[in-house]
Amino acid sequence: MDSTLVDFIKVLRSAELKVSPAETLDAMHCINLVGYTNKSFLKNSLALVLAKTPEEKDTYSHCFDNYFNVDKFQPDPNNDEQSAIPVDGNIDESANEENFNPEQNQQNGKGSGSGGGSTSASDAEAAPSLRASSSLGKLLTEGSRTDQTISMIEAGRSVSVNEIVVFTQKGLFTRKIMDAMGLKDLQEEISERQQAGDAPNTQLANRLQKAREQLRERVRDYVEKQFFLHADESGKQLREELLKKVKLSNLEKRHFKDVREIVFKMAKKLISVHSKRRKTVKRGQLDVRKTLRYNMQYDGMFFDLKWKATKVDRPRVICICDVSGSVSNYSRFLLMFLYSLAEVLPKVRSFAFSSDLGEVTKLFQNTELEEAMALTMRDYGNGSTDYGRMFQDFKSHVLDEVNKKTTIIILGDARNNFGDPKSEILKEMYDKAKRVIWLNPEPKSSWVVGDAEMKKYSPNCHQTEVCNSLTHLERVVSNLLKSAT
Amino acid sequence: MQSKTEEKLSSVETIQQNFESLDYICNLQIATAVYLAYHLGKPILIEGPPGVGKTELAKTCAEMLDLECIRLQCYEGLDESKAIYEWKYGKQLLYTQVLKETLSEILDGAVGLTQSVDKLHEFGDIFFSEDFLEPRPLLKALKKKEGCVLLIDEIDKSDHEFESLLLEMLSDYQLSIPEIGTVKAAGETKPLVFLTSNNTREISDALKRRCLHLYIPFPDAKLERQIVQARVPEIAENLRNQLVTFIQELRTMDLKKVPAISETIDWARTLILLHSESLDADLVKQTLNVILKFQEDIETVEADLQNVTNKALKETA
Repeated sequence: MDSTLVDFIKVLRSAELKVSPAETLDAMHCINLVGYTNKSFLKNSLALVLAKTPEEKDTYSHCFDNYFNVDKFQPDPNNDEQSAIPVDGNIDESANEENFNPEQNQQNGKGSGSGGGSTSASDAEAAPSLRASSSLGKLLTEGSRTDQTISMIEAGRSVSVNEIVVFTQKGLFTRKIMDAMGLKDLQEEISERQQAGDAPNTQLANRLQKAREQLRERVRDYVEKQFFLHADESGKQLREELLKKVKLSNLEKRHFKDVREIVFKMAKKLISVHSKRRKTVKRGQLDVRKTLRYNMQYDGMFFDLKWKATKVDRPRVICICDVSGSVSNYSRFLLMFLYSLAEVLPKVRSFAFSSDLGEVTKLFQNTELEEAMALTMRDYGNGSTDYGRMFQDFKSHVLDEVNKKTTIIILGDARNNFGDPKSEILKEMYDKAKRVIWLNPEPKSSWVVGDAEMKKYSPNCHQTEVCNSLTHLERVVSNLLKSAT
Repeated sequence: MQSKTEEKLSSVETIQQNFESLDYICNLQIATAVYLAYHLGKPILIEGPPGVGKTELAKTCAEMLDLECIRLQCYEGLDESKAIYEWKYGKQLLYTQVLKETLSEILDGAVGLTQSVDKLHEFGDIFFSEDFLEPRPLLKALKKKEGCVLLIDEIDKSDHEFESLLLEMLSDYQLSIPEIGTVKAAGETKPLVFLTSNNTREISDALKRRCLHLYIPFPDAKLERQIVQARVPEIAENLRNQLVTFIQELRTMDLKKVPAISETIDWARTLILLHSESLDADLVKQTLNVILKFQEDIETVEADLQNVTNKALKETA
């Protein structure tokens, strides 16, 4: 019973639900109280214990339905009665032992079909004098579907089918489960009976063969379900890891959805790390007003002194993005990142340029990201890059609002088409702002090659970084949040 | 008392029925949560959009069990002196003044500082005993012999520090007061704890781990009709259906703040006051400010008003 729960929790974890051991224990208490008999009751109860956000509840509900449905297969054509175990959990130890006891199945008369849903149709056509001798054969001809399912799940456990990782392993595990169920004996029996040659034997052999094929189908089905349950998510994790490292400009449109998810996930992580607003206490400076006010309740006796503290402000970020052809993809993801962080970075102003600078803050706040990006591209993405022009625009429109709390992030390759770089304006920005960070998607070696002006710009930045993958982006943004303290 | 509580919480269906008799219509999830909270002895953290009856659930629960509902409203800057306990400083001061005279009698015959201090020690820490302790909601809840319902409302409004302060209380039903020691829940009955959150910020994992997590979404049309019927029984069935359909329709629109159940009920009451028998565009327009709380939203809906009203009328016709 416990292993059912533990298995289920493993499934939940691979679906990225964070279930702690303590919560597992809670779930255990919960099951002791609720029992396995009422499925929806169980589902509601476990949902309270295991899933702790609305999103997690959705995932949970999906996992629950999949997991506790493994033993509902297509109805057997030979078997009108449906074997119905409503919940996987019904398979407790005692039932298993019972079903693994061949003698007991033998005692149950074959024709009477007392094993629950019996294979009555096939019984009728079998010669009454013959019985399958191998244990699997017995199970197939005499056991109920429930028994077969249980035995299959048991075998699955013994070969640890839940460790299946890739699609191609499906055949292997099907085979392994069949073997564990005693396929070899069955094969031998079939060939023996075929060789014996007389009619009842051949008939039985045919029946067994048919049953074996059906079983194989069911096992394959089962393995497939297990694959989707266990491996699908870990495959996804693998893909995510890859996507995090891949160069953003190499991403194709079909990846965007995944990347978006990853960005949101990363942003969420950053939010939870940085959402706590830190106070730094200036030790040694008495806050007279606060102390007076606070000690009024003690009749004006000063015995609880209050010290001056300053709240750490969230960084004001001004983000300037090059949206010309080659760099636009990077800008897209930087902006995506910054706007996903709205909770901890409420004051982001963003500008886009290829030559003329334009503010896109409102656009990104009010419209869907994809659409906003497309509009930005349309409005600002044409023309050859001109950093000098951009800096001039910045100076005339925005520079006055830059103060010691502002962090300026510039994303671009600094390829200025041999125009005037106007690095003196960047110097002004450097002097006025708290930080100027330049993110360059190109590798450091090509920062000075050709028309790149990084050499002139970089002395006027607090920080210059290569930034061409999601991991890089995450690091930059995380530092940005940290530097707020 | 104990057995009575037990009886009222004996099964999910019983809970649901009991709630219904108190005009609180709930789905199975909510009833299950209350059932588990009582039987596992765990607090419930309720999340959901504003106005779906989170606070109401705790209050109804208290009413059903016939227990006192102790409420702690959270706000930024809430600290232990407001939530757990406080020393009655004035009383302590007054008593020392009054007892000044007796002091010489007590110290009578003591020679030197050491002996006097020893003599004083014999009296123990009278001034830091329970008599001088002002219990605040959390401590009060623990001390209730017959159990109670503790409602910690809008936990997301409080600071991070306060969340950590709650952990001891929520997992072990005890509180540590340095001068006195640990106060445990009185008797067998633990308080039934409800925490509510509007999700303005993420609650820490440590707190979530200790609680059952219940998410109350907006109800579906059927449930909402039942709720309106329970709360505003005098409304005609026809109008009720129109009203609920209309509200459900609004929730699918892109609004700054969609109307919640409490707004539906307010609206139903308003319509009764106005003696209206059926929805029409004019009526809706006049009363729109009952359900929508932002001018922007009102403008958005007004533009589409005829359409939505007709839809509501058609579907319930």
